[in-house]
Amino acid sequence: MTWIDFVNLLINGLIEGLVVALPALAMTLVMGVNRFPNAATGDMLTTGAYAAVAVQLLGGWPLWAAALISMVVTALVSAGSYTLIFRKLAGRPMVSSMLAAIGLGFLLRSLIGFFAGHDQRTFDLPLVRAWNFGGIRILPTDLAIAAVAAVSLAVVFVLIYRTSFGRQLRAVADSADLARASGIRANGLMLSLWLLVGALSSLGGVLLGMKAVVSPEMGWESLIPAFAAMVLGGIGSPVGAVLGALLLCVAQELAVPLMGPSYKLVLSFVVLALVLLVRPAGIMGRVQLVR
Amino acid sequence: MQRRNFVKLGGAAAALQCLPSIGFSQQGDVFRIGSLTPITGAGSPYGPGMQQAIRLAVDEVNAAGGAGGRKLELFTEDDQTKPDAAVLAAKKLIEVNKVQAVLGTWASGVTLAVMPLTDAAGLIQMNVSGAPAISTLDTKDLVWRFQATNDRFGAAFAEICTKRGFKRPATMAFNNASGLGNVEGFTKAWEKRGGKVAAHVTYEPSRPSYRSELQKILAAKPDVIVMGSYLPDTTIILREWFQAGADNKWVIPGWAANPDLVKALGAEVCEGIISVETVSNEKSTSYAQFDAAFTKATGKPVSTNIYAAMAYDMVISLALAMEAAGPKATVEQINAKLREVSNAPGTAVYSFADGKAQLGKKAKVNYEGASSKLDFDKFGDATPDFGVFVIEKGQLVRRDVVSITM
Repeated sequence: MTWIDFVNLLINGLIEGLVVALPALAMTLVMGVNRFPNAATGDMLTTGAYAAVAVQLLGGWPLWAAALISMVVTALVSAGSYTLIFRKLAGRPMVSSMLAAIGLGFLLRSLIGFFAGHDQRTFDLPLVRAWNFGGIRILPTDLAIAAVAAVSLAVVFVLIYRTSFGRQLRAVADSADLARASGIRANGLMLSLWLLVGALSSLGGVLLGMKAVVSPEMGWESLIPAFAAMVLGGIGSPVGAVLGALLLCVAQELAVPLMGPSYKLVLSFVVLALVLLVRPAGIMGRVQLVR
Repeated sequence: MQRRNFVKLGGAAAALQCLPSIGFSQQGDVFRIGSLTPITGAGSPYGPGMQQAIRLAVDEVNAAGGAGGRKLELFTEDDQTKPDAAVLAAKKLIEVNKVQAVLGTWASGVTLAVMPLTDAAGLIQMNVSGAPAISTLDTKDLVWRFQATNDRFGAAFAEICTKRGFKRPATMAFNNASGLGNVEGFTKAWEKRGGKVAAHVTYEPSRPSYRSELQKILAAKPDVIVMGSYLPDTTIILREWFQAGADNKWVIPGWAANPDLVKALGAEVCEGIISVETVSNEKSTSYAQFDAAFTKATGKPVSTNIYAAMAYDMVISLALAMEAAGPKATVEQINAKLREVSNAPGTAVYSFADGKAQLGKKAKVNYEGASSKLDFDKFGDATPDFGVFVIEKGQLVRRDVVSITM
């Protein structure tokens, strides 16, 4: 174990963290505004990845174009699920929305499995050898993944913290009643939020599919890391979700020399437990959101 | 009066007992076989062919006049490659169809879930699963395996690595019974030959990346990495390995290193990968006959589905055991004859009709199956030969066949 191995592990962790950050952010946005953990986020990822595979298969288009189309498709699916399901459940206890989300996830997964089959799929993407800087290996694909993730995170942050859309969202997140009283029209705002969340999930699915393989279970399986990242960062906090994802993934990669790869997941949860013991609201969370 | 009553009651009781015994004697004319294969789910590329093979074998036995004076009757169910669905289907076969043998389970998880049911009912169970645990959990010796165990896959990997002159193998395994079984079998056999394993990594399923696992294993500078893996994780690992630019060789089980892997990664990445899969007993007459029948029935040669030959052998060896056990034999008595008709010594026979004729002459027979020589060890496990395939320009080319003895 030299410092070069260490740097390589750190790079792995950062890239995995950026990939996990997208669904974590999508989840935390819904959690902050609609106040329920959207368990269908994982299957929105899968939907996005399969939409991109379908576009590539049908049109033979490059991956970036397929990803853009799949973002539109998944955003519509996401907004549709809000209009048809979650809007109707607003005001009910959190559990009913969460159960509905689990059900929606099952539905999406089954539909994908039924129409696309359970065989693994991959994107049509050229394989490139890693750049080698004296033992520090950087994959060009990973660099592209990191860049796309970072740019989309930046776009979301600008939207949330620099536009009136973001201000209204944050107002609703703080107090839905107060926001309504001050004339914020919730319906259009919610639709935009769910469109954004869908697009973000889709992108997360495509990035995950670029690193791994596309299968009907891919999103569901990445739900727990995303959920952990959201909790660690502080529920409802966008910055926290990204920080949480990075912290968990880096911690679990750096644990490899200590505990071996089979148990690295455990360490990321030790980090989660420790942080929550010290700061029950999470890294960036505020206490009133964790009632 | 008391005595007269006793006689009356006794007579009535005897008459009552006659009724089910009439029923039994009618049932005695057929032997009911349940086919439980994966028609849907992950095993669906193989299950339909296996079911077809079982049907062909049943027809062959019935055409030869049945076994032990009985015709075979076939009931088919889909195990969906899922343990829960398989248990429901097995219950239906056992309780409704009253089958006396359940044939054809494919996934280890399915076989392990169905075994307790068939064991409790005292039925014969025949499968093509790999998990080593099946051998030891089969306490009543009613379970018969026609595929090599993961342990033996490992032993075959060691034989191949020796033959190809590798010196510094490392192993990577998916963290489950099958993956670990493969590499533990390899390590055992390799160390018995006096070799050392440079490094070992057990990895978790469904990770987005296996770079740190690869980094760990490549740090040991292996000349070959032996895998206990499945297709999705193998795809991710090989992609990252190729991108990282290492130059070791790979020995991978055939269910992970197959045309789908080449499709996912392209020919360049897969060049030179050694894929190991059991092969049928291709030089035997039984294989030739079955291949002809299977091709006629399905339009595909039996080489496209190695499990079909195994499923075919299940019925033939079972029928030979019935013939050897004689008319009215119980399931237990038939089960006790399975080793006798399949293993040496004895006159080698290649079809049910041959075997029936030989058994009629009171000779001892040794069925040489379409899938393997079909010699069961003390666990009831057969050991087929292993084909060594090398991926060259995107095609799996068979370069060698190795036999192992346990």
